[in-house]
Amino acid sequence: MNKLVKDWTASVNRIFRTISGSKRVDKVPFLAFAGEQMICRVTGKTVKELYSSPKVYANAIITTFEFLNTDSINVPSAYAGPSEALAFAEANNKLDAIKWFDYKPLMCKQGEICKSEEDIETLEIPDHSKNNLWKNSLLAAKKINEKIKFPQVISLSIWSVVQELRGIEAYKDMRRNPDLLLKLCEKIYESQMDIYENWLEIVGMPPNVFIAGYSFNRHMMSFQDSMRYEGQFIKRMMNKIQVPFMLHNCGTSPYFTEVVKEIDFIAVNGSHPLDIEYWIDFKKKYPKITIIGANIDVSREMLTGTPSDVEEKVKENIINLAPGGRYICCPVCSLPWGVSIPNILAIPKAIEKYGHYPIKLD
Amino acid sequence: MNEEESLEKLKNAILRGDSNKAIQFVNESIKTGIEVKEILNRAILKGAEEAGNLYERDEYFLPDLLMTGDAINAATETLKNSLNGKSEIQSKGTILIGTVEGDIHDIGKSLVVSLLQGQGFDVVDLGSDVPPEEFLRKAKEINPILIGLSGLMTMSISKMVETVNLLKSENIQSRIIIGGGILSKESCEMVGADDFAKDGWEGVKKINKLLRI
Repeated sequence: MNKLVKDWTASVNRIFRTISGSKRVDKVPFLAFAGEQMICRVTGKTVKELYSSPKVYANAIITTFEFLNTDSINVPSAYAGPSEALAFAEANNKLDAIKWFDYKPLMCKQGEICKSEEDIETLEIPDHSKNNLWKNSLLAAKKINEKIKFPQVISLSIWSVVQELRGIEAYKDMRRNPDLLLKLCEKIYESQMDIYENWLEIVGMPPNVFIAGYSFNRHMMSFQDSMRYEGQFIKRMMNKIQVPFMLHNCGTSPYFTEVVKEIDFIAVNGSHPLDIEYWIDFKKKYPKITIIGANIDVSREMLTGTPSDVEEKVKENIINLAPGGRYICCPVCSLPWGVSIPNILAIPKAIEKYGHYPIKLD
Repeated sequence: MNEEESLEKLKNAILRGDSNKAIQFVNESIKTGIEVKEILNRAILKGAEEAGNLYERDEYFLPDLLMTGDAINAATETLKNSLNGKSEIQSKGTILIGTVEGDIHDIGKSLVVSLLQGQGFDVVDLGSDVPPEEFLRKAKEINPILIGLSGLMTMSISKMVETVNLLKSENIQSRIIIGGGILSKESCEMVGADDFAKDGWEGVKKINKLLRI
């Protein structure tokens, strides 16, 4: 293993104390979603090289997150999106649905695995202990736990997997065959529980569950439907996994204020809205829910701006959301391939400048 | 059943997204002698417009729009078949669309395709993971009035840049719109597109605006 250059114990305390609402936090934590593309870029390795060995993968992840100077660290492939599609593709002999790339995560041709109604009826639930990508991802998470004592958070989802397996037909099923769609959601729920069981066995008890939610968006479905096809399953996960849950929601018109009334999340993170006023209002209404974000846009200041632009945005976020705690600074979505490294590094620099508690900014 | 009732029934079938009923009511309308233009404008397109209004008022959602889109396509196809090749339904123009290379998400793009077809455009859908050269080849072949590049991943932006650069360097004159939840005004300027949309419905509205239809 590579030699550590960062004090991870301080980062662990910063992140988890912030989420729990503790006052003993030295400064605003920095969390980033650095996917395989960023790890490949920093280490020069292909995704297949990363996935081939838990030791290589864990080392590359630690190197990348240390380089980016984040307070967070995670195994990007241990996420219920494309990796879960791969597990379903393998279990159902549909590997043609999967497309591999050299320097970014694999993708699933949406709707290929459950093209027909019969495909849903006969869909086999994967055994993740037999899937090499999942096995190595969980072993890498275990190695990270051991090496830097950073308890790894498990990521689960229902609707992102529905979209991978059924594609756009899932949205039509809502109106023409809701029972069939619920059957697919049930199967995905069982599969998610298989991931959890494997996680328990290999990595250990996670401190939190991070829900990669995709359904809680007005432009995609009604709130009633999002609760029916994803929310009710999250509630079941909560009953089974007795740890605090966090919600990530991709989409331009989220139901954050609605969903936190129905489901007891301790933290929320969204790719939208980008209006800081929304988040100020959210913090007022839900002071005990940690905001991970809020509006540092990966396609604006991060991609096309300068380090000064990023610094200004971080400052704006800290002024408005950090006082009182329960705020984690984070770009709104996965860091793009082309984002400049100085722009990423501008975030921890700005936190160092403005983000020490007590916050003394107007 | 009089003309008004016939068209109302067809419009309601479109609004409910009931393709079978839409086909049935198109056939009935034709039998009762209603002009094709009337069927199209007062029932099919009226239904599409009302569905869009309901979506904007948060009374309809993506599933409803998709079902309506299917019903529009079924009704329009039935109408075209009834004409036996006579071109009473004029196309608003041809649009070329696809998800850029390296990205295979297609839900937003499929919604746009379905709704644009329903509004009377001819849409050539190149599918997903489309290389810049393929966009260029097809653009030269069909000379579209507009080209739509879709992509969900943040990584897709650089491929959009590459595609637009290639199209412009080869003097393709079509308007260009990019679509994806991760896009912004700044990234649109960086790509060099005429406009951008963050979701499917916004895409349809902006395409109509770009083409001033």
